[in-house]
Amino acid sequence: MTLETAHLPADQIAVRCRGVTKSYGQGSSQVTALRGIDLDVRRGELLMLVGPSGCGKTTLISVIAGILDQNRGECTVFGHDFKAMRQNDRTKYRGQMIGFVFQSFNLLPTLTAAENVSVPLLINGMPRRQALAKAKKELAGVGLGERANSLPAELSGGQQQRVAIARALVHDPKLIVCDEPTSALDHATGQKIMEILRGVGVASDRALVIVTHDNRIFQFADRIVKMDDGQVVGTLDSPDELRAQADAVRTGAAERTTEESVS
Amino acid sequence: MNFVALKMLVGDRAKYLGIVMGITFASLLITQQAAIFVGLMGRTYGSISDLGLPDIWVMDPKVQFIDDIKPLQDTQLLRVRGVKGVDWAVPLYKGLLKARLEDGTFQTCNVIGLDDATLIGGPPLMIKGKLEDLRRADSVIVDDVGAAGKLAHPSATGKPRPLVPGDTLELNDHRAMVVGICKVSRTFQSQPTVYTTYERATLFAPRERKLLSFVLVKAKPGQDLAVLRHRIEATTGLSAYTQQGFINKTWWYFFDNTGIPINFAISVALGFVVGTAIAGQTFYSFTLENLRQFGALKAMGTPTGTLLRMILLQAVLVGAIGYGLGVGLACLSGWAARNTELSFVLPWQLMLASALAIVVICILSSLLSIWKVIHLEPAIVFKQ
Repeated sequence: MTLETAHLPADQIAVRCRGVTKSYGQGSSQVTALRGIDLDVRRGELLMLVGPSGCGKTTLISVIAGILDQNRGECTVFGHDFKAMRQNDRTKYRGQMIGFVFQSFNLLPTLTAAENVSVPLLINGMPRRQALAKAKKELAGVGLGERANSLPAELSGGQQQRVAIARALVHDPKLIVCDEPTSALDHATGQKIMEILRGVGVASDRALVIVTHDNRIFQFADRIVKMDDGQVVGTLDSPDELRAQADAVRTGAAERTTEESVS
Repeated sequence: MNFVALKMLVGDRAKYLGIVMGITFASLLITQQAAIFVGLMGRTYGSISDLGLPDIWVMDPKVQFIDDIKPLQDTQLLRVRGVKGVDWAVPLYKGLLKARLEDGTFQTCNVIGLDDATLIGGPPLMIKGKLEDLRRADSVIVDDVGAAGKLAHPSATGKPRPLVPGDTLELNDHRAMVVGICKVSRTFQSQPTVYTTYERATLFAPRERKLLSFVLVKAKPGQDLAVLRHRIEATTGLSAYTQQGFINKTWWYFFDNTGIPINFAISVALGFVVGTAIAGQTFYSFTLENLRQFGALKAMGTPTGTLLRMILLQAVLVGAIGYGLGVGLACLSGWAARNTELSFVLPWQLMLASALAIVVICILSSLLSIWKVIHLEPAIVFKQ
């Protein structure tokens, strides 16, 4: 497949993957999760990776985020190839350049919201007092200025995810990787979370890659990449198109189920 | 990130207290048992260390420790005095004699006979009376613990009355009058110590051909003790030890020939093993529970070295608190038992050894956690 972004100059590309292949295990038990992925993510873009479970979405963002090595192919983030870096440089680069939002939040339960948000700054060597002050500002930016001193257990799921978003943004990373950020939340909260991510996360020099199953949030994407069986099977610039496809599949499945039960 | 490590640790109260308690228990058991061992072994040479004045102890070559008396002929004293470099030499009697108490019961006493002229070798501290009172007829000085305990007079109220100057004893069928009460180091056998003069002690003692237990020697100023010791041995055919040498000989005799070390070593080892097991298991389980958090930190760019430092900091913190609590409790138990027969001596060397043991426990406890975190795949954070 020829990429429509292939012609773009490197300075407009945040993530560039070419022929990325990743397998787990060896011999007869080997499972290939990615089969020659070609993908570009533009700067200033919110890209969603969608596809059925086990299609390789999570493996792909792990490779993009530099926490998993591909077996073959090349993947660069703002021109830097993680695989070519030494371990220490890779960790440092990841700490400075990438923000993470996880499905299960992964907040440290014994740290307050502000302390949790300050962690990336501490990792990057900022003094604690300064980091806490900056973290509180970031929390205010996601509407949680009043809950800075609350522990995660004292917050709702949506609030915890907002804390996680603040944590992902606080050190001003250039790439934000989100793994199913709304799947643990109800519809209204999920919409709110996406509005926040869209509002404070998207910037001209930053890219967001979101892995999701949730077709209710497709309208927030600039571009949607469909994956199946470890491959990119389509790219849609219109979220409505993908949602229509998803609805059609769901409707078809429902009709088949009804017919089977009648017969 | 130290702050994050500490909050992760103390935030989980149950685990945190579990680890601290494990290390406290280990520290307490190791320190207390070792302190009792040191105290007990110290009692083996209390009679030697109480005599500060002499430089060299001369004795029969077959003597193995302070209570292993093999008497010398009195003439040996004169031979020792004749050795070049000896400033003075005095006799010392040491033997076990039976004292008959007022109620008719007998009590074995550790009788020490001092040189009649100089009274060298007397108790380190007099509580009542004076050492010179030993020059009075039939006089003896009794240690305070013996006077208040095994040698105490029965009374009408049923509660024994401690011996005081003026009371009398019957030592081996000889009348002895208490003229003073002294304080001495406790001895291994815990028998009352009775001081008297050398001549009187030989009268109290059963008739034997030889009664001189030791010759205490003071070297002339500037005299090398090792040289003098060898000279005494060469001249007299006897054994001569510096005070520290005799202490060491006695200490090692008890160490090598009694079950004391092995019994205490088992207790100390038990404390070490149980402490390591409790602390290690709890610490590992704490790390396992926080594995996802460690994975998130790793994914967010925390270097593995920083994560290891965080774990070590957590181990150091619980180690320091557990050690402090354990040693504190050990000291408290020693203080509470200060007036009992329990021997408890806690020198700084022992505290250091105990601290090293706790460091080893902390390292062992955190090793599993460190291994787990080093091999932790940060992609774990993307798994449900």
